Amino acid sequence: MASKPKPQKTDVVIIGAGASGAAAAKVLCEAGVNVVALEKGPWRKKESFGGDELANINRYNLWPDPILNPRTWRESEADAARTELFCPVPQMVGGGTVHWQGWLPRFTENDFRLRTVAGDVPGTSLADWPISYDDLEPYYLKVEWAFGVSGRAGANRFESRRSGDYPCPPMPMSRYAAKFHQGCAALGWNAFPTPQAALSRPFNGRRATVVSAFAQQHGDPTGTRSSALNVFVPDALATGKYDLRPDCYVRELALDGRGRIKSAVYQDADGDTIEQEADLFILACGAVETARLMLLSKSGRFPKGLANDSDLVGRNVTFHEYSAAVGTFEDPVYAWAGGGYVSASTFQHYEHDPSRGFVSGGHIAVAGVGIPLPINWRMPGTPSWGAAAKRVDRDYFNHSLAVAMALHDMPQHGNRIDLDDEVTDDWGLPVARVTLKPHRNDLDQGRYLIDRAADILEAGSAKTIQKVYADRVTGNCSHQHGTARMGNDPDTSVLDKWCRAHAVDNLYVVDGSPFPTGTGANPTLTIMANAWRVADEIVARRGAPK
Amino acid sequence: MPDTFFDPHQRGTVAAAMARIIPTDDTPGATEAGCIDFLDRYLSGLGYIYAKPDGSGFEVLEGRSAEAWHRRIETMRQTYVEGLRDLDARARAGHGYDFVDLAADRQDDILRAIAAAEGAAGPALQQTLTEVDLGFLPLLVMHTRQGFYADPIYGGNQGQVGWKTIGFPGPASLAEVHTGRYTTLQYFAPGEAEKVKEFHHGL
Repeated sequence: MASKPKPQKTDVVIIGAGASGAAAAKVLCEAGVNVVALEKGPWRKKESFGGDELANINRYNLWPDPILNPRTWRESEADAARTELFCPVPQMVGGGTVHWQGWLPRFTENDFRLRTVAGDVPGTSLADWPISYDDLEPYYLKVEWAFGVSGRAGANRFESRRSGDYPCPPMPMSRYAAKFHQGCAALGWNAFPTPQAALSRPFNGRRATVVSAFAQQHGDPTGTRSSALNVFVPDALATGKYDLRPDCYVRELALDGRGRIKSAVYQDADGDTIEQEADLFILACGAVETARLMLLSKSGRFPKGLANDSDLVGRNVTFHEYSAAVGTFEDPVYAWAGGGYVSASTFQHYEHDPSRGFVSGGHIAVAGVGIPLPINWRMPGTPSWGAAAKRVDRDYFNHSLAVAMALHDMPQHGNRIDLDDEVTDDWGLPVARVTLKPHRNDLDQGRYLIDRAADILEAGSAKTIQKVYADRVTGNCSHQHGTARMGNDPDTSVLDKWCRAHAVDNLYVVDGSPFPTGTGANPTLTIMANAWRVADEIVARRGAPK
Repeated sequence: MPDTFFDPHQRGTVAAAMARIIPTDDTPGATEAGCIDFLDRYLSGLGYIYAKPDGSGFEVLEGRSAEAWHRRIETMRQTYVEGLRDLDARARAGHGYDFVDLAADRQDDILRAIAAAEGAAGPALQQTLTEVDLGFLPLLVMHTRQGFYADPIYGGNQGQVGWKTIGFPGPASLAEVHTGRYTTLQYFAPGEAEKVKEFHHGL
């Protein structure tokens, strides 16, 4: 095979073209910076997506194929790891935003200083963030307006200060959201329309989002939902500065003689190894894969992995855990309408309250039961086959909903990502090994939030209520954070407040990895806002475009 | 391209078991939906893994994805062949006949005994299961369910009987979703669709 010429050096290489990588690319390219994006997965166009529950939920059409991309999990270092599809996220241009429904709540002021608010919690490595809500606020607004987020300013009574409205009014009220509002109203709790990455009406030249049942965990064939693929990627491409290379799997970041990164070494779609040089490198692979790539990049200067003098890379990983109380209703709630996640939320139990006996809280919202489509919908605790199972499907498919929560799991030094010493992926590289044991606080908080979810169902006149407590953290909502913490002290953090590595001055990380805590809310809005903030700083430090 | 994997006896045995997993009562069951056709096609090779999203046929798999699917199908074929052999062995040991020739309640007893031995896969609230890790019965239960409820293009859910049984107003075809004509706004709270009608086609 003829060897390919080495590509020309560029300004910035971004590894990953999902939520954070595409957000950073948009900002950099619009400021005149040349960006090469190396994305492991394919660049799928909207025409390749469809309303096919079987392909999307059950056959890895969008999820990573576990045969090609395994991961392993163990509870503690003493245990043998077993192969498990832990916290998968689609690996493709657009990343997780390709198949999400996009709940986009903001974090609150106290999320950025939980250590100060809650104090020392034994067994955890709680830390304040080196940035505040106010540092991010302008960027929240920028992302909300870029995406045309549908929501209502002021509706969440617990939200911190906002400097502007949402660009679109809330999405239409689903029947399941109406039940949630009814329950919260009866309890005297604040509830609000969940801010969503969808257009309730035409916005910025785009038409209103099609309200299909095939939405959650499906790509959008109409291209009307807001995602990195539909918004940031086209914005970046429009500048002519974005060289987006799909099917390019970065195996290593190589150093120069001064301990700075010289190049990203990757395998392209043909299997050829290519070296791409740049002035500056941004990691945006998601918190698990970013840590893995740093750990794969060993050198004389960094024998334990890139920028890993502190042995902190991969540690303090947090995942959330999604669970729910499930209710059935006399009247139909059609909890698949709109995909089952056109929703209502409450932050009533979000903020820390010392009287509860555990730290922090979480976002509670209404949804369908699991993936609320015919194949994958299932009432917890019911038989899986036979006449009784069929009766459950028939009686409750249209009459059930879930009041769900994402628990805010505590960071712990021993919970980490490292490289598995036996299992490799289809490319021959060691896979990410997750070592993770929930903290007592995680389980207590989860029980409390599920009990409150059940309160909402009861007050909303559910006929039956079943609580599904989270007794393990399995990474089941794809949220991942904390593997390369940002902080002011190089001894206790990997990155500085601008998400630049303390030990490597041309390395930045913009996905969930920098988050010192996972918070109790969906992270992607904050991930994108932070990526925008960091990209702005990179532009400012480079000076005016050449 | 072959459309089948099972031999006639295996096919009959799987169909009989499927009829116990989603039985026919006053509404259609696995038999009427054609769940056996769905599964036989799935296991026949790589020809029916992913429908084209516009409903015009099936994707041709290549490269790593084809290799992974080849391994996955092989593993599942083995699980089925062994599981079906076990089903008949249990039937003959207990009653002197093959599984397919037993009365429904005896078939149920055998399936229950296997379920007790294998354990059933619990529902995942969010994540997909890894098919190749499943034992015979959980795999068969899952595939029966898929055959009953998947888009009819995959060979089951014939005449959308699965969807009709539970009251899911699925699209007439994949093309309806692909073109954006399919909407569920009319199933939102009363009056909501009317408010946004001007922004949506097909309402």
